[in-house]
Amino acid sequence: MTGYIARRAVQAVVVLLLVTVIVFVMLHALPGGTARAVLGERATNVAIAQFEKQNGFDQPLPVQYWRWLDRVLHGDLGFSYKQNESVSELLAERLPKTMLLAGVSVLLALLVAIPLGFVQALRRNRLIDYVLTGGAFLFYSTPAFWLALVLVTLFAIRFRIFPAQAPQGSIGQILADPAGLVLPVLTIALVSIAFFSRYVRSSTLENLMQDYVRTARAKGASTMRVAFRHVLRNALVPVVTLVGLSLPFVFAGTLISEEIFNYPGTGLLFYNAAVARDYPVLLGVTLVVGVATVMGSLLADICYALLDPRVRLTRERP
Amino acid sequence: MTGAGASVLEVDELRVEIRLRRSTVRAVDGVSFSIAPGETVGLVGESGCGKSTIGLSLLGLLPAGGRLVAGSIRLSGRELTGLPEEELQEVRGDRIGIVFQDPLTSLNPTMTIGDQVGEPLRIHRGASARAARSRAAELLELVGLPGPSRQLDRYPHELSGGMRQRVSLATALACAPALLVADEPTTALDVTTQDQILELLAQLKSELGMAVLLITHDMGVVAGQADRVLVMYAGQLVEAGSTDHVFSHTRHRYTQALLESIPRLTTSRTEALHSIPGQPPDLARPFGGCRFAPRCAFATGECLTAPPPFSGAAGHVFTCIHPVEDGA
Amino acid sequence: MTAQTHATELGPAGAYELAAPEGPLKLALDVFAENRLALASTATFFVILLFCFIGPLVYRTDQVHTNIAQTTRPPSAAHWLGTDDVGYDELGRLMIGGQTSLEVALGAAAVAVLVGVLWGAVAGYFGGVVDAAMMRVVDAILAIPALFLLLFVAAVTTPSVATLIAVVGLIAWLVPARLVRGETLSLRTREYVQAVRVMGGSPLRIILRHIVPNTIGTVLVNATFQVADAILVVAALSFLGLGIPPPAANWGGMLSNGLNYSYAGYWWLIYPPGIVIVVTVVCFNFIGDALRDAFEVRLRRR
Repeated sequence: MTGYIARRAVQAVVVLLLVTVIVFVMLHALPGGTARAVLGERATNVAIAQFEKQNGFDQPLPVQYWRWLDRVLHGDLGFSYKQNESVSELLAERLPKTMLLAGVSVLLALLVAIPLGFVQALRRNRLIDYVLTGGAFLFYSTPAFWLALVLVTLFAIRFRIFPAQAPQGSIGQILADPAGLVLPVLTIALVSIAFFSRYVRSSTLENLMQDYVRTARAKGASTMRVAFRHVLRNALVPVVTLVGLSLPFVFAGTLISEEIFNYPGTGLLFYNAAVARDYPVLLGVTLVVGVATVMGSLLADICYALLDPRVRLTRERP
Repeated sequence: MTGAGASVLEVDELRVEIRLRRSTVRAVDGVSFSIAPGETVGLVGESGCGKSTIGLSLLGLLPAGGRLVAGSIRLSGRELTGLPEEELQEVRGDRIGIVFQDPLTSLNPTMTIGDQVGEPLRIHRGASARAARSRAAELLELVGLPGPSRQLDRYPHELSGGMRQRVSLATALACAPALLVADEPTTALDVTTQDQILELLAQLKSELGMAVLLITHDMGVVAGQADRVLVMYAGQLVEAGSTDHVFSHTRHRYTQALLESIPRLTTSRTEALHSIPGQPPDLARPFGGCRFAPRCAFATGECLTAPPPFSGAAGHVFTCIHPVEDGA
Repeated sequence: MTAQTHATELGPAGAYELAAPEGPLKLALDVFAENRLALASTATFFVILLFCFIGPLVYRTDQVHTNIAQTTRPPSAAHWLGTDDVGYDELGRLMIGGQTSLEVALGAAAVAVLVGVLWGAVAGYFGGVVDAAMMRVVDAILAIPALFLLLFVAAVTTPSVATLIAVVGLIAWLVPARLVRGETLSLRTREYVQAVRVMGGSPLRIILRHIVPNTIGTVLVNATFQVADAILVVAALSFLGLGIPPPAANWGGMLSNGLNYSYAGYWWLIYPPGIVIVVTVVCFNFIGDALRDAFEVRLRRR
């Protein structure tokens, strides 16, 4: 297993480096030159020249990359002139909130999707399967923003159960008002549930067809026992990897959800920066989200290695 | 159990149909046989003849689309067909044990050996985890697994094919069943391991005095292990009798062809291998006559029109109207 | 799929197989055709295609000039689905909006499949360092949410249909690349591939003529899901205000525009585009699902 984890870790480092390269390329692909993009259309030529010299834009690209990477690793992600704050400060303030939103949403989605998908597989092609599958398809095919607005209209305006705006302020303040989190979380969770439950369903179905299920039945195991003692464990193992892979999707969901509910996280930060053409912020968030996704994926793979004895106890390539 | 002569298993005119996408196949078409206590019966035939289907129908484990449409199966006098699922579950693993062909896929990859072997005891004997575990160690020792207590916490993929098959055997024997069904137990193993497993089987059989239904396509396995042999073709029994007699006084032309097609060390190198020409019939559309007739070198018009009746003395029966004569 | 023993759903090999051997493609189509939902979805898709591309020839409306006098009118004889906030006929707009949405979605899926299949096949075929490097690139781009990348591009340029196809496609190729690479890895060890190598076939020939055709099943399934995702992603972009600017229309833009007026109760601006998005995406999801089942049956019979 250590071999597997070591290999995955090395891969993760390579991917992280590539992510930084991508972001760096994006930084230098800005129209009119980076300096003008950052300082704005109206900046004077003198200001531009000064900026370029200050930031070493006269150096060859690899050198620039190296120096930029060095700054990044020391926590300097650039400066947002539009917001007059360093990007790192902005992110430090907002990232934990998005993590909270994303984390709760994924947890909720899993808690619902796993039993849902399991039941669908066990009751395959019966009414409950069709109903749940139909529902899942519907949620999965609806644009998230429409879903969010329906939720707001229903629960915040028509019935006034939950607030239409998310709580602002620090994490402590946000957590103190959990009702305000409900709608943002639901928006992300509903679509994720649809996606996860389909996966759990097909993983369970695949396991139900395996020979070891027949052996279990041949031992006289009841359907319950076969389902929970044998199939469930095997069907869930790949779900861990799935969660890792779906992180980009979840972050995209936070973008939409935060925009609609005015939740002060990195998604909203990114959106506002896109509208304002605030490039340092855009790139900083992209970098951080990319890193978070890679780390999350690595974590998921490690969990997978721990869960599947075939990986845990083997010296060979999985 | 009523007296020493009572059979462990009695199968009477068993008919099993399997519904496919476009047609219904008569996988087993009127098969009858019995197994006495302590007896090993070999059920032999080529792929697709229905022998595995018989094994599965004994346990009520037919695949989706499979249905037992007629006949009776009596285990120690108790009728199994028509039993509700809960009662069948009580029989499976307790009164009948089964070993399948592929030991790797037949075992749960995320469950320890100890848990899997001990499971029948937890289901049928209400054993505690500890009791099941210690009994599992004993069973592993019984099937010849080295270092049994070490193996308890290992996983199937950590063992070799032969060892896994021993584990499957141990699991099947956990509750000391009256009947063990071995469905191609050695087909997935290499030749030396095959021998070991068969030897183990013979040893266990005599130690535990249980009846064995050995399903295989390999005549050699049957010759070495079975007291009696049942030859199947296209869903029907074509010949049945004591192994010695069937092998030395073969009657049905199919059995003869099967035996002839086995290459022998004594066959000269220039002699072509015998094979049976043609293909097995389409079981979705069986016809009335002898099913082997289209491929039989000795068939006559009569063979194609009417199903051949059972003939021969009790102890060795066959369904052929042009059987092999002694000395032929 | 594991190697099944004889107790599979289709029964033991031998007698049953010989009953009526069918070509693999026909078999896949048969399974697909049995899925009523998939058939209905395919039919619905064709209806939608007709609606979007032939519709405007039948139901003629002016989609270029705004008409301030006729804004936000409810459905009537003159305007079957009413008018929107600048006076365009909603039904007509739905049709040409559909053209754009479908063009982008189908175009992006095509780009994604083309690039993805080649990338994945090359990576899988050559293996080793080449494979590792190519797949790490895929991982890196995958790590960044598509929406983020798209927003960035939209912020930097003003999107047109072509740019959107290119950009969405160039992000969407990652998943088919992964899939095809996986398949290639397993196909590469098959005997017939080795035979061609021995015969002196060049890698390009092997990849194009032997490996890629065998991945068609997986790729096709994925392509349908790509189309569905593309429609949703472009809709999201439009909602966030960074889609294709008017007078061009697309369903996502229409929906998000209409949602601005949800308080006013202008349902004809919301439900038609919303429903047509959901229906199209659902259709593609059903088709993709059914295709997956169909090809899996084919795989089982191999």
